[in-house]
Amino acid sequence: MDAGRHPLIEVITNAEVVDCQGDPGNFEVTIHKNPRFVHEDLCVACGQCVDACPQVGGNEFDMGLKARKAIYRPYPQSVPGAYVVDPEACLNFMGFLDDKQRRRLEMIQKLKLKKDPEYTPNILVCGHCMDNCDVDAIDFDMKGEDIHKDVGAVLVAVGFREFDARKLGNYGYGRLPNVVTSLELERMLTAGGVTNGHVVRPSDMKTPKSMVFIQCVGARGEGGRPYCSRFCCMNAVKDSMMIRQHQPEVEDITILYTDLRAFGKGFDDFLQRSYDTHSAEYVRGRPAKVDHIPEDDTLEVFVEDTLGHEQRRIKTDLVVLSVAAAPNDGAIELAELMGIETDQYGFIAKKDPAISAVESTREGIYVCGSASGPQIIPDCVAQASATAVRAQLFLTGHRIEEEEEHMDAEPMELTGPPRVGVMVCHCGVNIGGVLDVDQLVEYASTIPDVVVAQPNVFACSSAGQDELVEMIEEYDLNRVVVAACTPRTHEPVFQETLSRIGFNPYLLEMANIRDQCSWVHSDQPELAQEKAKTLIRMSVARARNLQPLIREKVPMTRSALVIGGGIAGIQAATDLAVQGFPVTLVEKDDHLGGRLARPNLDLLYPNLRSAQEVLDEKIEILNRTDARVLLSTEVESMTGYVGSFEATFKGQANETASFGAVIISTGADLFEPDGLFCYGEMDNVITSAQLEEMFCEGRDLSLGGSAPSSASFILCVGSRDPEGFTGCSRYCCPTAIKQAMELHRKGIDTTVFYRDIRTVSKGAEEMYRQARGEGVLFVRIPPGSQPEVVGGKRAEAVRCFDDLLGRHLEVPTDLVVLSVGMRPGQPETENFQEMLKVPVGTDGFLMELHGELAPVETAVEGVMLAGTVQGPKDIVDTVAQASAAAAKASIFLAFDKVKIDPTVATVDENKCRGCGKCVDICDFHAPELVEIAPKLFVARINASMCKGCGTCASWCPTGAIIARHFTDRQVHAMIDAFFG
Amino acid sequence: MATKDKNSWDPEIVVFACNWCSYAGADTAGVSRIQHQPHFRMIRVMCSGRIQPAFVLRAFERGADGVLVSGCHIGECHYIFGNERAIEQFEKTMSIVKMLGIEEQRLRLEWISSAEGARFAEVINEFTEQIRELGPSPFGRKRSPAKAGKGVAG
Ligand code: FES
Repeated sequence: MDAGRHPLIEVITNAEVVDCQGDPGNFEVTIHKNPRFVHEDLCVACGQCVDACPQVGGNEFDMGLKARKAIYRPYPQSVPGAYVVDPEACLNFMGFLDDKQRRRLEMIQKLKLKKDPEYTPNILVCGHCMDNCDVDAIDFDMKGEDIHKDVGAVLVAVGFREFDARKLGNYGYGRLPNVVTSLELERMLTAGGVTNGHVVRPSDMKTPKSMVFIQCVGARGEGGRPYCSRFCCMNAVKDSMMIRQHQPEVEDITILYTDLRAFGKGFDDFLQRSYDTHSAEYVRGRPAKVDHIPEDDTLEVFVEDTLGHEQRRIKTDLVVLSVAAAPNDGAIELAELMGIETDQYGFIAKKDPAISAVESTREGIYVCGSASGPQIIPDCVAQASATAVRAQLFLTGHRIEEEEEHMDAEPMELTGPPRVGVMVCHCGVNIGGVLDVDQLVEYASTIPDVVVAQPNVFACSSAGQDELVEMIEEYDLNRVVVAACTPRTHEPVFQETLSRIGFNPYLLEMANIRDQCSWVHSDQPELAQEKAKTLIRMSVARARNLQPLIREKVPMTRSALVIGGGIAGIQAATDLAVQGFPVTLVEKDDHLGGRLARPNLDLLYPNLRSAQEVLDEKIEILNRTDARVLLSTEVESMTGYVGSFEATFKGQANETASFGAVIISTGADLFEPDGLFCYGEMDNVITSAQLEEMFCEGRDLSLGGSAPSSASFILCVGSRDPEGFTGCSRYCCPTAIKQAMELHRKGIDTTVFYRDIRTVSKGAEEMYRQARGEGVLFVRIPPGSQPEVVGGKRAEAVRCFDDLLGRHLEVPTDLVVLSVGMRPGQPETENFQEMLKVPVGTDGFLMELHGELAPVETAVEGVMLAGTVQGPKDIVDTVAQASAAAAKASIFLAFDKVKIDPTVATVDENKCRGCGKCVDICDFHAPELVEIAPKLFVARINASMCKGCGTCASWCPTGAIIARHFTDRQVHAMIDAFFG
Repeated sequence: MATKDKNSWDPEIVVFACNWCSYAGADTAGVSRIQHQPHFRMIRVMCSGRIQPAFVLRAFERGADGVLVSGCHIGECHYIFGNERAIEQFEKTMSIVKMLGIEEQRLRLEWISSAEGARFAEVINEFTEQIRELGPSPFGRKRSPAKAGKGVAG
């Protein structure tokens, strides 16, 4: 939605790239735009054409679960909002006619052509939609066209498609109607979807009593693709919880899994909630087949439970296949014509799988999201921002240097008693077909202070906007009420028009008589008419009490501070510096690199490149920029808010400087397993970090004894721990496998004790199979039990109950490696929570603003997070996040002022008693107590930090806080008008 | 207009909704054309945390037969914890409402997300039915002459 409205974004839909020539910085791209047969600029998305269309076609968005008309809107929030004609279904397209009809049509056209050589064939078989379109937006003569664009960089975000489960015949997909895919289930569960959010059996549309989810269908090697699709485990867990909550009639849900890969932030807690609420029964095993039992029309799933060691036949009503993600159709062709490479599965390849977050194999072309392999949403969003910042490299000429003020007209004089104008929109038949608009207009003109009321066919069309402006000028209005659709989508449209003529946009009020009236009460038009009148009356009442508000601007210090010089900090600083922004990077050590620097890390998975080499490359690029790097320096204190943060450094540099935006990339600590698994007691029990250090320095592994001939790894030490950090540390599984292979290749027999193998990163699943192939032994730790290290002075064996074999297993071992998890970095985390008020999540890591949609921003505007300071992640994800943080920071730095939304809270200092309640409850730390005279305190609210929720206004005991634009008076006026 | 016949009596319900979830949920019901009872009027605020006891009490005082307070699901508030504050406010409001002798079933708190158009409709239908069962509010009845006049004016 936002992209569709952004002045610098042109959205070309229904189109494909057919050619890409040139070099980074100036590519020439040819785009073929397929005709949509509807003029985007004319269509007002009223939907009358759909009602008129007699033809029904398939519907890919609802996965074929629901039919749609031949003219349609792809989905309710689509951008652009204009409708599209489906030539495959529309009667007006020759291809759809049968032979006889086509011959007849050709004959008629030939005849016409004979008479008039200029004649263009335009016989329309149907044309109902055109007859019903009030704005003449439908045009069947529209042709496809090639568009040439000169661009600096190209971002590929073509996503994925689902694996075709038909290929696995034994699960019966496509043959048995009650075997559905996870995406089909998702469409059913969507509130606005095909079945209004209910699960049904497609064969009889009844609610299933029991369901079985089969995980990893077509993934992780089973008859399909060798990689893990990342999102399916959590999706199944989430679906099971949603279904049990909304439809208790579904009594049993069984999830058949291989490993439960709840690797993301907060995922393990979510999984735990599912266990606690018994939303599903979890059975470990891959089913052999699904059979149909015709007697009672149920399904039977055959599975060997690898934990309980029994063959099971699970009878069920519905089977859901959690299908793998596959490369999108055409991804390979696209890659070919773009001149970039794909990996062995057909996903877009990255330059270096160990470190590249978004680079493709061709400079200037970047890839984000599932186009390069399956991703979860937070990672997609971070990568998308990362591609954007990389693209900036080639767009420097285009960056907005100074804010382009679109020339707002002189503010109009709008004082004096309210003179309200009301415009009532027909919205075609959307409102006009249910409500009597003329009567509403007549009624509106009788409301006190209303000087004029007018109807309009489409108030949001450009003609409608012009009429609104005319109405304001002609009647000298100082308040406007538009009774039309929802303010959530259309208030910005009208506000823009008003700003253009200098009419304060905050003097507009909308009455929602479409989405919340004519659309939902069309079965009771009389009552709907009553409701619409009341809504207009309430809106006029609010409009009378509206106040003009001015968007203030505060200066922006156009430089950024990056705290922490690990890989995240290096990346973020580089990304900002190459764009020409002044940036300062502070690092408390005397060298850059953090965990990647020697002797912390030897080789990177999956391609075993040397960490130091990768790091040196990155530092080299950083050094070529103008970024200022302060080593052996720490941030001692920090105050301020977006646009002007003040930081005081101590260490090698002792100074105070101000910054517009801040990126925190201080990393995480590793868990210290003191006292666990005899760590610290036995010499040959070490952590994975220590092992890596030994690799790095090429030390021998004897640890005071003889050279080891066997080794054991214990995973999840300090992770997924109900007493400590409950989450997954993400990096440890692939790291342990990499280390195990290294030991194994040295001739040491290696065993890995694991809970679930969570090899979700690119190439990691393959590495896991390779390790097993080479002879590394993997033993699953049964839930609830712990492996034990046995021995005297030195560890001699690891003992564990193996659930696969059903007996105690003792593995003799000369070396025990504990794969330690991550912990919030201290004291940094606490310090920044304290100094900048960045909230900390329940897991102890600094918290992002929104888990999925804003993974690098924080509740404090202008402060971004990069890397493991926000939660455990591996190197590629860290780099992507760092670039995303840089992208977000550059949005602030691109302007020399920050615009402040005026709809924030303010304090009437005469009424304020200085009780400090507002200070206590505000999560954004906007209010502050100020001593204005000895012992006399009042609250002041910092408009830069206030988000405008109005909660403080409702808590203020004296009514001193005013929530602007939603004041007590405005709300009371609406209540009174309801009953007035 | 407003007759005392129980069947033809229509309740008047005020719904306070936050901009990001429940107001959006009502819009979603619209986009999906999910029909529901038309006897409520929405008042939009930015966050459910803004809904103070005075708003609800004013609504009852003016004659509302029911008041619904709605916001985002816990954990989904656009302003992080606004809806948790809303719970506290709601509890305060509820105790005053009870003190005033208004049946507690006339006041309700619901979390509705922007995607839950169908649930919004369900909540409205169910709440409307509940209020219908209870009959006109004790405060509303006293004001019935004014109410009767409204129908004509409208
Ligand atoms: S924004 Fe919806 S409850 Fe806070």
